[in-house]
Amino acid sequence: MLHEFSYLAPRERNDLLQLLKKHAGQARLLAGGTDLLCEIRLGTDKPAFLLDVKHIPELQDIAWSERDGLSIGAAVTCLEIMRHPVIRKKFPLLAHAAGQIGSAQLRNRATIGGNLCTASPCADLGCSSLALGARVELASVRGTRVIPMKEFFTGVKQTQLQDDEIVQRVLYPPDAAGAAWGMEKLKRIKGHDLAVVSVAIARTAKWLRVGIGSCAPTPVVTADLAPPATVATVVAAARRVIAPIDDVRASREFRLFMVEEFIGRLMARLA
Amino acid sequence: MSTKHSVTVTVNGKRYTREVAGNRTLLRFLREDLGLTGTKEGCGAGECGACTVILNGKAVNSCLVLAPEVDGATIETVEGEARNGKLSKLQEAFHRNHGVQCGFCTPGMLMSVKALLREHPKPTVDQIKEAIEGNFCRCTGYQQIIESVLDATGQLKPKKEELRRV
Ligand SMILES: Cc1cc2nc3c(=O)[nH]c(=O)nc-3n(C[C@H](O)[C@H](O)[C@H](O)COP(=O)(O)OP(=O)(O)OC[C@H]3O[C@@H](n4cnc5c(N)ncnc54)[C@H](O)[C@@H]3O)c2cc1C
Ligand code: FES
Ligand code: FES
Repeated sequence: MLHEFSYLAPRERNDLLQLLKKHAGQARLLAGGTDLLCEIRLGTDKPAFLLDVKHIPELQDIAWSERDGLSIGAAVTCLEIMRHPVIRKKFPLLAHAAGQIGSAQLRNRATIGGNLCTASPCADLGCSSLALGARVELASVRGTRVIPMKEFFTGVKQTQLQDDEIVQRVLYPPDAAGAAWGMEKLKRIKGHDLAVVSVAIARTAKWLRVGIGSCAPTPVVTADLAPPATVATVVAAARRVIAPIDDVRASREFRLFMVEEFIGRLMARLA
Repeated sequence: MSTKHSVTVTVNGKRYTREVAGNRTLLRFLREDLGLTGTKEGCGAGECGACTVILNGKAVNSCLVLAPEVDGATIETVEGEARNGKLSKLQEAFHRNHGVQCGFCTPGMLMSVKALLREHPKPTVDQIKEAIEGNFCRCTGYQQIIESVLDATGQLKPKKEELRRV
């Protein structure tokens, strides 16, 4: 059973922001519900209000321009990302990463905003978006601000979001369009599972970046490396940003090993 | 404290309106408010797929959807399969190929496959596996389910068919 709460479904962005401000601290945003309803069911989260974000038009858009790059509304689902022709063509890493999340049933509901705001170290759209140099647009009644995704994640399941703020859009720079890419996600089983280790690489003529999941309190990304980098340089850069732990899924040693292994494989494929 | 919501849905072609609390899941709504108990609860947490229904054309875990979220929606459940006591083509194929053992996963399995077949009327084995990745079956080992889907779509190799008739 889920505890009692009030479900509200505002139709306008401003109404959503006002409601969030009014009930700050007591309200949670409900997107696909694939994380939040699990938390509520477990009793680890007991909000008094659930504010459904799925009726806000601004959060549903996908837009691309040569000048501004790609913009994805926070309530866009994994399925929409996987199928979108521009994303498939210009940001195939993202389309691939969205396809790595859960099962078909989950991808039909799960949103990019929910994936990032849960801020799990294993978020598949975390490591991949970081490799692509994404930024996050936050909004509240106080206005909007844009921050690098690197700064958005602050700890295990923690972000820079204030109580009255939402993620409005996720922004990908135009220079990441068409980047060569690769992603490896290690799971315990062939079916749907969270990442034991995930590594996503994006490379253009100007930079190479590696996003890594499940190896630190947040998804992390290397500094920009100058291509073509050697495997040793990339591994060294990765080592500087990860700090894996032993947990139910794998040991620290195994994670360190798999990060190196995946970087080697992906670099060979990119070459 | 939580107010009631009026929810109107079309389930398997029939319209229903009910008053529900905000914390009612779609799964409980179907089972307890509409009496459609074909859809099962396994984990209640998005893992097992026993609760899969088709919501506006897409397979979803009904345990992770709130009833007030689906006001105005079209929903398909396993109860929409058989007509006048006659199994659907897909159900018949599951029956023929031993795609059902205890049957607990079957209602969800059928809905995942039904959603797949709408997009891919002749799915490959890989497409079938991907579509049922979120549907756990503890009995069949999946092979018979995959064969059931191949059979339903006219793709089961005749050799296997003969073997099974022995
Ligand atoms: C069985 C199972 C398997 C899974 N497998 C994977 C996997 O392989 N990889 C993976 O990365 N994840 C996985 N997940 C986790 C989950 O499905 C994803 O994180 C998903 O993207 C969450 O999105 P959602 O829309 O469902 O979020 P919700 O559950 O609706 O929300 C999640 C959190 O984000 C907040 N939120 C939502 N939208 C916004 C917004 N716009 N602004 C601010 N806050 C917001 C909510 O308040 C809540 O705290 C899995 C989950 C389950 C149950
Ligand atoms: S009961 Fe919904 S996925 Fe298991
Ligand atoms: S037939 Fe028993 S779980 Fe699938």
